[in-house]
Amino acid sequence: MSTDYQYVPEPKLVKGDHTFGSITDLIAKTPLSPTPKLWYLAFGLANILLIVLLGAIGYLIWDGTGIWGLNNPAGWGWAIINFVWWVGIGHAGTLISAILFLFRQGWRTAINRFAEAMTIFAVMCAGIFPAIHVGRIWVIYWVFPIPNQMAAWPNFSSPLLWDVFAVSTYFTVSLLFWYVGLIPDLATLRDKAKSKVAKISYGIAALGWTGSFRNWWNYEKAYMILAGLATPLVLSVHTIVSFDFAVSVIPGWHSTIFPPYFVAGAIYSGFAMVLTLMLIARKIYGLEDIMNIDIMEKMNLVMMITGNLVAFAYLMEGFVAWYSGYIYEQGIFWLYVVGPYAWGFWILMFCNVVTPQFLWFKNIRRNVAITFVISIIVNIGMWFERFMISVASLSTDFMPSAWDYYSPSFWDIATYIGTFGLFFTFFLLFLRFLPMVAIAEVKGVMPQADPHNYDGETNEFDPSKTEPVVVQQEQTV
Amino acid sequence: MSEEVKNPNYWKSLGELARNEEYEKFVEREFPENATELNDEVSRRSFLRVMGASIALAGFAACRRPVQKILPYSDMPEEVTPGKPLFYASAMPFQDALTGIVVENHEGRPTKIEGNELHPASRGNTSIFGQAAILNMYDPDRSRYVRKDGERSSVNAFTDFCGDHFSDTAQNIAFVSEANSSPTYNRLKDQALARFSNARWITYEPFGEDNALEGTNIAFGQRLRTFNQFDSADVIVAFDDDFLNPAAAKNSEENTRRFTDGRHIESPEDGMSRFYAIESTFSITGSNADNRLRIKSSDIEPFIYALAAELSDSVSGLSAFSGISNKYSDHEWIPVLAEELLENRENSILTVGREHKPSLHAAVAAMNLALGNAGQTVSYHQVPHLDENNSREALVNLTEDLNAGRIDTVVLVGTNPAFTAPADLNFADALSGAGQVIHLSDYYDETSSLAQWHLNRAHFLEAWGDGSSYTGTRSVIQPQIEPLYSGISEIEFLNTILTGEQRDGYELVRETWQSYYTSDFESGWKQALHDGVAAEEEFPTVSVTLSDNFSSAAGDFATGSEASEGMELVIRPDSTVFDGRFANNGWLQELPKPMTKITWDNVALMSKKTADQLDVTAAGLGEAEVEVVAITVDGTTVEMPAWVQPGHADNSITITVGYGREGIGRVANKTGVDTYPLRTTSNMLYASDISVEKTGKTYEIACTQDHNTMEGRSLLRHATLQEYRDDPNFSSYESSYNAEMPGVAYAEETTGDSDPLSIFDAIDEQEYPADEPQWGMSIDLNACTGCGVCTIACTAENNIPVIGKREVSRGREMHWIRNDRYFDGDVNNPKALHQPVPCMHCELAPCEQVCPVAATTHSDDGMNQMTYNRCIGTRYCANNCPYKVRRFNFFNYTKEFLTEGDDPEIVQMAMNPEVTIRFRGVMEKCTYCVQRVNRAKIETKIETDGETKKPADGSVETACQQACPADAIYFGDLTDPESEVVKTKKNNRNYLLLEELNTRPRTSYLSKIRNPNPKLA
Repeated sequence: MSTDYQYVPEPKLVKGDHTFGSITDLIAKTPLSPTPKLWYLAFGLANILLIVLLGAIGYLIWDGTGIWGLNNPAGWGWAIINFVWWVGIGHAGTLISAILFLFRQGWRTAINRFAEAMTIFAVMCAGIFPAIHVGRIWVIYWVFPIPNQMAAWPNFSSPLLWDVFAVSTYFTVSLLFWYVGLIPDLATLRDKAKSKVAKISYGIAALGWTGSFRNWWNYEKAYMILAGLATPLVLSVHTIVSFDFAVSVIPGWHSTIFPPYFVAGAIYSGFAMVLTLMLIARKIYGLEDIMNIDIMEKMNLVMMITGNLVAFAYLMEGFVAWYSGYIYEQGIFWLYVVGPYAWGFWILMFCNVVTPQFLWFKNIRRNVAITFVISIIVNIGMWFERFMISVASLSTDFMPSAWDYYSPSFWDIATYIGTFGLFFTFFLLFLRFLPMVAIAEVKGVMPQADPHNYDGETNEFDPSKTEPVVVQQEQTV
Repeated sequence: MSEEVKNPNYWKSLGELARNEEYEKFVEREFPENATELNDEVSRRSFLRVMGASIALAGFAACRRPVQKILPYSDMPEEVTPGKPLFYASAMPFQDALTGIVVENHEGRPTKIEGNELHPASRGNTSIFGQAAILNMYDPDRSRYVRKDGERSSVNAFTDFCGDHFSDTAQNIAFVSEANSSPTYNRLKDQALARFSNARWITYEPFGEDNALEGTNIAFGQRLRTFNQFDSADVIVAFDDDFLNPAAAKNSEENTRRFTDGRHIESPEDGMSRFYAIESTFSITGSNADNRLRIKSSDIEPFIYALAAELSDSVSGLSAFSGISNKYSDHEWIPVLAEELLENRENSILTVGREHKPSLHAAVAAMNLALGNAGQTVSYHQVPHLDENNSREALVNLTEDLNAGRIDTVVLVGTNPAFTAPADLNFADALSGAGQVIHLSDYYDETSSLAQWHLNRAHFLEAWGDGSSYTGTRSVIQPQIEPLYSGISEIEFLNTILTGEQRDGYELVRETWQSYYTSDFESGWKQALHDGVAAEEEFPTVSVTLSDNFSSAAGDFATGSEASEGMELVIRPDSTVFDGRFANNGWLQELPKPMTKITWDNVALMSKKTADQLDVTAAGLGEAEVEVVAITVDGTTVEMPAWVQPGHADNSITITVGYGREGIGRVANKTGVDTYPLRTTSNMLYASDISVEKTGKTYEIACTQDHNTMEGRSLLRHATLQEYRDDPNFSSYESSYNAEMPGVAYAEETTGDSDPLSIFDAIDEQEYPADEPQWGMSIDLNACTGCGVCTIACTAENNIPVIGKREVSRGREMHWIRNDRYFDGDVNNPKALHQPVPCMHCELAPCEQVCPVAATTHSDDGMNQMTYNRCIGTRYCANNCPYKVRRFNFFNYTKEFLTEGDDPEIVQMAMNPEVTIRFRGVMEKCTYCVQRVNRAKIETKIETDGETKKPADGSVETACQQACPADAIYFGDLTDPESEVVKTKKNNRNYLLLEELNTRPRTSYLSKIRNPNPKLA
């Protein structure tokens, strides 16, 4: 019987001639070796920015939201832009870990740990803004449904309240998911650590992991459940964030296209951020074999798709403005294009509509330098998208008499830059002390992990080899 | 999109290119080391330091602390119930016209001024100056003590000085005073002139009615006050006369009421007057015109003569003008106006701005007489207290005598000529030629510092006085509080000079008033105090005839009246600070000027065309920096910011005075530019052939409305009378947009209800309790003149803080009711429309939907309420408000306004105790004056023994409604089918703002109707 199909070998997910042991060494060496000087430099810089953030927040609380550039029509400015931007960035991690896990995308293992960490820190940065942007931060807890003697409940029909629940749930699940995934690797570090402090610290964090079959069995189930829980959250968080705008009556906000458009935009910016960070980290930490060009290309493809979804949404906004016959929607769209913030609109168009088109070309998708530049441009573009939505729509809405122009103040900028301090402080701690690649999971997608079709001689996956690998070892359960 | 949007040059008004610079400046300002903020006297911090502040210079020994004196009642006065305000009738003098007021008094401190219903000049309404007077009284920067040669002295020392100094009755004394209608004051004035043989009296007002009086003198041989009854005229022609503006007319409230009465329309069958305005500056009066012609102020003269010449063929009495031919003789307006005026004889009014030459007033008076208007729509009154001679000439003579050293003593009463006198007189220098200068004034001002004696004047709310309204109704001014700074009133001051003894103003006024009551003085006096009006009497009306000399005089001035073609400069009083006397009033400084919406500054107004010639660009959206021009008149140059005012006459620049003061108070100092140096005896109104140049500098202006067009949106619906008659329902959504209201057809189909559907059914079906009133408001845009008194009345009633120029320029103004001003039509010659916008109190309020903590909710009586205590300040409600009426406390405005300085209690006393002070970080907005509503509900419930809590119609008025001289605002219970507000809402001109959003506002508008002459369209 002749076959009419042929095995097409997939590119190996982990390049180089790696064994399980070499992978473990490669990844575990960073947390376990002495701190490099460069790290101190980077951490110092991040700390300076973090102090800027704390200072900006301190002054904000001391003096009032007036230190920002807000005015009467534009009640939300950079704070909300930054919130949406950071939350958007925080989408990549969970998408990569949860949705791609459920879809059995093996390549996710190269970046999932990294992306999840980024997610958590990005959501932390995002979470700061809704808290500090209120006028009276000392009563911010009123947004939580805390039973009280006055029976004063929050207003459950307010999208801001939905935000509170959506973002906090997302953060909690992401954190748990990340932590659960870390457990086997923490145990590896515990086992490999030489210093007592490290042994004890990693030991406590590893929750007594022994690597037993039962451990693995529980772990896999927990991971699967959390992935299942996290999957809808990936879609819901930014949907709900988009409700902040879509549920209002303001032209440019009041739009049913917002939820999918926001989610696509979030994934777009999240992948861009992962790429930006990954391309630096792989170089510094010598992880080119794991975070390799194939992975980068796959991420570029996701960016291309989501970028074009976003571009389509812009197009639809214009179409809907025209087709609806709704003069205010037409007005705001026209003002986007030629109005006071047109410069922002055209930056956005370049960054988010033109840039992803380069990704149609395989050469570009596989070019590290160009990808790095594109990933940064995309995040600039996504920031401007939120800028246009928040500020331009608010500044020029129904009543032309109330129109005004929004300009940020020094403190707006300081707060935004400061959040990078917070982000990188945590991220650098993560890079320094935790395995930045999921060791156990990467091993799972290596050819060696295949019990049936692994060719030990070539160190390749070989479908013709159907014999189970005889492991010269006693299987104990 | 609308035409305006496509035209990018001006209307879009966007300066994208300057963005980076502007941004850098914003950044720069945040840094104290750049110190721009510290230098800027009106930046937020310095301003707030100012407002609450007291005077470090002030001595504390004489400083009374009225809070301590008034608050604790160890012995309760009989009529006072703590928490319940008392209302006393009084009157507010402004120049020599009195307006009746009722003062709200909380436990002994006046907090709010309302108009007096019984007073003919007020009829319950006030002007912006009336509303702001409370803050003037509580101004901590007012002069607090007597000064002798700049050193602190006392009233007793002054009294001793007077006894000594004025014993020489033969010395040359010059009294220079403000215009004052007080019978007591004028009695003392007569006594002074009798006692001092070489005394002269000069009534100097930088903006007064001298020229008008002189004009009637030329026309009728008598100095008479002109009173226009705008309600009884069908045709009104105003030449550069801003008679609706309190800064340009002493009786603006009455003018406004009468003007809007004559244009009140309830159905298409009603008629309305037709108003023609011919003016250079776009004034609020001009913005209410049916037909407006913009010509230079210097062209008003030939225009009037051309019209007179045209009329002279048809009416007798104008023969002096016949045959005059000038550049306006062939103007298209002349025959049209003549025809209208001739058709409406005895039924029209011609009026000319009071600063115009006497000859123009004479010509207009002659035309009014010739057309039969005199005695019908225009009356002429003999005003006893007016001087016999022209006071401006007298001031010139005085200056000459001062310079020659012929004056021994100058007594200045209230007036501030060192600041306001024509610049060429150098009055400040001339004063040094006098032996003694004695000055009574509110502030230690420009003139005070030149005087040997300075006395601090008591505010009219602090001292006894009296006076007459513009038309002659007498009232007593009752003090509401002990003088805060122990000031003395004008009459006490004059009496001390006359007699060398101190006497109480109370006795002086009573002494004068003895003569008005032949019998039973006490009851008459008490009645006058109670009512605030003695009796409705008028200055004697004169039946005028043309003076014999008129023809020859008119012949003289009508020849050679060709105006120059060069650039002219028009100098006018400022619409909020007037001649500078209100410059230290934060409420007035922060009130947007009606036509430009600029706060805290004076600017050089010019048309778009003139600006293009000068290469000056208009400020764009959110652009605070505007270009500065240098204006040179006869060698004197003043640099000031240029502002493009659509509708201004070409080749003409208007500036206002009263700004750029020094050493007055921390609000006034260094705010704006002093333009008096350009005003000389020959240029009292305008200067011709001036030179203007762009300087290349920029200046920060705080303007509250950056965008001037409606962008084709039907926000302010208006039509001509003819269009209204053709389509009485033109104000509907369907007519405005030529489309059906979204959702209505579907709603009718599915529910049979024509209200649009809501997806929020629970709210849609919200039931309002049957025993509750349901509040609603309507605003008649046909009545609204755009004066802005609603804004300032609301500020006074609702404790709205003053935030300073820097915060306003950042777009954070706090006014709960703003007055939108849109331009419609050609950029060079647009129509202007005014629309007051308070909270709409939507039944389906978008703000309530989005607040995460339910801080803004609906009350049972249908009001959208803001719970300050619950607000956490997300600003989501303000974002989601389609009307953008919510205001946020970005900083702790109120606290800083009320606690800064070493004597903050003074400003605190101006606050209304019935309204909560808002803390930093909370949202606020119009409450429909809920404190007044609830007081009325409680009172009604008590009066009816709990039967109802629905107050009778008209028994509760919002502050804006109460103050409005045009009666443009209606407020009441919608469940009462007979209420005024329900009637207005049933009118076919009634419409809802942004009705298509289905917010169901409780506030609605009545569309504006114009009655233009189709021949001039």
